[in-house]
Amino acid sequence: MEEVIFGSNIMQLLIALILVSTFMILGSTRLYSCVRAFGIQSFLLACVAGVVGFSTGKYDLYIIALLTLLLKAAVIPYIFIYIIREIKVKREIALYVGISPSLITGGILVVISYYLIRSINAITGLSSFALSASMSLVSIGLFVMISRKKAIMQMLGILIMENGLFLGAISLTNGMPLLVEIGVFFDVLIGVLIMGILIFRINKTFETIDTDKLKTLIG
Amino acid sequence: MILQIDIVVIQIIVILALSPLLSGIIKKIKAFFQIRKGPSILQPYYDLAKLLRKDSVVSENVSWIFHAAPIISFAAVLTAGLIIPIFISDMPLGFAGDLIAVVYLFALARFFTALASLDAGSSFGGMGGSREMFVASMVEPALMLSIFAIALNVGSTNLGYITQTVSNAGLSSVSPYHLLAFVAMFIIAIAETGRIPIDNPATHLELTMIHEAMILEYSGKQLAIMELGAMMKQLLVYALLANIFFPWGIAQIISTTGIAIALIVFIIKIVIMGTIMAIVETSTAKWRLFRLPDLLSISLMLSFLSLVSFIIVKGG
Repeated sequence: MEEVIFGSNIMQLLIALILVSTFMILGSTRLYSCVRAFGIQSFLLACVAGVVGFSTGKYDLYIIALLTLLLKAAVIPYIFIYIIREIKVKREIALYVGISPSLITGGILVVISYYLIRSINAITGLSSFALSASMSLVSIGLFVMISRKKAIMQMLGILIMENGLFLGAISLTNGMPLLVEIGVFFDVLIGVLIMGILIFRINKTFETIDTDKLKTLIG
Repeated sequence: MILQIDIVVIQIIVILALSPLLSGIIKKIKAFFQIRKGPSILQPYYDLAKLLRKDSVVSENVSWIFHAAPIISFAAVLTAGLIIPIFISDMPLGFAGDLIAVVYLFALARFFTALASLDAGSSFGGMGGSREMFVASMVEPALMLSIFAIALNVGSTNLGYITQTVSNAGLSSVSPYHLLAFVAMFIIAIAETGRIPIDNPATHLELTMIHEAMILEYSGKQLAIMELGAMMKQLLVYALLANIFFPWGIAQIISTTGIAIALIVFIIKIVIMGTIMAIVETSTAKWRLFRLPDLLSISLMLSFLSLVSFIIVKGG
């Protein structure tokens, strides 16, 4: 059953596009385009959930797809844009690692996660594409958190990781129980709200959200 | 009855005749998006005719390279045009070279243009030449990688074979690796044809110019040959993109009706590509020269992803 779903062309295409959107986040220097790329990624993720739901015939997956679309592709990007606008942050993202090196690092992370997934013998065939994509999303999300200075980008990084986990969960289990998924969505939403408030506080106290500047507090 | 030799002749005529038209159409579409009237789509023909009637003014300090460069560049691009499928996939001269040969024929043309720009000894020419080589050094690895992605997918670097295979596979050939390689190649096409995020083709007055700076010393007939060569290269790059990634409608065997249909389809495809290019050009600003590595490393990464996803899906 699983082979059939993940062998289908649409599924492969969607997963490849999710990877591309991740690289869009790595490759852009503007906050708005990063947020936009995250919105596209979430939209594609909703499509994946919809396709899995369609091919397995599980209707609760449609609800999950709809929730993803609403929360991750609309509400969370809106919260991001609201924060960016309210605290009047400079729209260029500050980097520790330049654009080209981070793109290359992203490519290396994809290869590493592919080899890690391949060493698990239990998973064979085409669903390994989905799983290695989810693994690379998690690692690239972590890399975004490490290599970007602005607190907003760290928030975005953790959401990319969450998207990766979501993709992995769907590709492994064909959808977790609805109750668990709704709980996860609620957690993500509350997490984003709390992080947003935290960023407001950081900005109010230090008049910047550049985490590089926070180091000077020591001592 | 159409013979093999006729196809070669038709192809040369089509390339020579359509390439100024394509430039004119792109200019017109750009003007439309900027709410201007814009020059007639036949304007490039008039310009070329005017230049061909004029004499060249040549600096007395130049060597033979300056005189040879337009001819060599033109010949290299036209030779590449005989290997690229335009309206028929089974090319009479297809045996002579593959995708990699096309890349290096373009590189030969670029190399001689850059040499000629240094030859006259003007500071603008030298700047243009060094920038062109700077861009080329980043375009080449990205282009080769995306070519390998396509070649792995299809199983050959022969252009006729690639076109035929993709054409026969129909819609099922649309796979992630195919799509990723297409986007990567599209970015490269912008760089190869000197369009806006990389180079601005419409200006002689900016210090940012690349291609225009290189041909600044040329005038008259030599300039006409250079300009036509650049237009031909643009047409051929679009033809390459169109016929590798969506070759549907191309003639597979030699027949009059097949070729007629293929020609019409080809013109439609080229106009669509030109429209997309014009939209990209109007909606983006020219990038700083030192940000170009970022754009081209995006292309490199996309071709890399295309290769990796091919290996993951097919290699298991």
